[in-house]
Amino acid sequence: MDADASRSQLAAALVRVAGGDRAALRIVYQDTSAKLFGVCLRILKNRSEAEDVLQDVYVTVWRKAGSFDPARASPITWLVAIARNRSIDRLRSSAASRRAEPIEEASDISDPSPAASDILESAQEHRRLHGCLGELEARQSSAIRAAFLDGATYEQLAQRMGVPLGTMKSWIRRGLLKLRACLER
Amino acid sequence: MSTTDQDGTPEDGGRIVAAEYVLGVLGAEERREIERRLEREPALAREVALWEERLTGLVNSVRPVAPPADTWTRIEAAVAASPAPARTGLWQSLEFWRTFGIGAAALAAASIAALTYVGLVPAPRAPMVATLGQTSGQPGFVAAVSTGGDSLVVVPAALLTSDQRAMELWLIPPGDRPHSLGLIHPGQPVRLNVPPALVGRITTDATLAVSLEPPGGSPTGQPTGPVVATGKLTSL
Repeated sequence: MDADASRSQLAAALVRVAGGDRAALRIVYQDTSAKLFGVCLRILKNRSEAEDVLQDVYVTVWRKAGSFDPARASPITWLVAIARNRSIDRLRSSAASRRAEPIEEASDISDPSPAASDILESAQEHRRLHGCLGELEARQSSAIRAAFLDGATYEQLAQRMGVPLGTMKSWIRRGLLKLRACLER
Repeated sequence: MSTTDQDGTPEDGGRIVAAEYVLGVLGAEERREIERRLEREPALAREVALWEERLTGLVNSVRPVAPPADTWTRIEAAVAASPAPARTGLWQSLEFWRTFGIGAAALAAASIAALTYVGLVPAPRAPMVATLGQTSGQPGFVAAVSTGGDSLVVVPAALLTSDQRAMELWLIPPGDRPHSLGLIHPGQPVRLNVPPALVGRITTDATLAVSLEPPGGSPTGQPTGPVVATGKLTSL
């Protein structure tokens, strides 16, 4: 099945979930839970917390499916946003207990090369985003990837990369503006 | 190049905060603050949605991991124990708002006025209404679109404070910028004719918003003052 067909099928399932259809929630879960669990795990770096959050994510999908608007957002974007927001909130709320843990090695920040394009996203969009990231300075694109995938704060990124906070903010903000300009070209 | 400071990038008018929220670099308190603003600032919410679309492709590099087999069972149990999904329709919203004492009677009156208006014309297509909530959560206006889609009536649903500024009604079609529909009045129903170019854009996907503007309306053709009420159009 190509990306467009899988996207419309997922969007249709979400619309049915909004109508209270539990079988449709199961379809959404089957199609997306491995990806979203990967996203939660990457941010939380703790299996049992990621499992808790994943459960919370699908309960949220059940409750909030009515606010999903297929005309405005792609279903995977909507789902990933819920998974990331829940994971980041959990990460922040347990930040105090994590402070004692060693800071991630800086090498973690250098990005793993992007995997083959997902079925959930069209190959064209995939190439476009990665092409535009490639136009940024290496430190900008790796900071942006690390922030998005790990849910790291400005402070944590600055510490990891050994630069002042203001420098990190400036790298990322300029990188984002440049990225937007490239994507809108 | 020193175009960037601690609090935002001047060339970006402070909108970068939407990107920072989506990227995930903000702390817990800043995130809560943005989430509160998202509920009452449609422009910020649109910006956040755009950044989500732009950046989500980054998760392509995340390896999928099958969750434990019992996760679905736990989700199913949690879903069975929770009420049916929240609907976003008008009547559910009205029920919700009735729990607020202030404005309930005015809302009911406004709804009746708006529905009467809608009922006066034959129905070639489903009439649409929007309840425009204020930042406080209370309804500010009820808008009803005529069945032909070429006019709408906007009825105040609450006692709104009105200073020297005018209230301007905007149509925000999905993925588009706001288009002015004209000035409305905080104290009396107003009927507006929809510009012909916008008739087809008034759909259930569109949002209506009210902003405060200088007397006579926005000088720029775009909202310049704070948005005081917003709501999505719903088919009856």
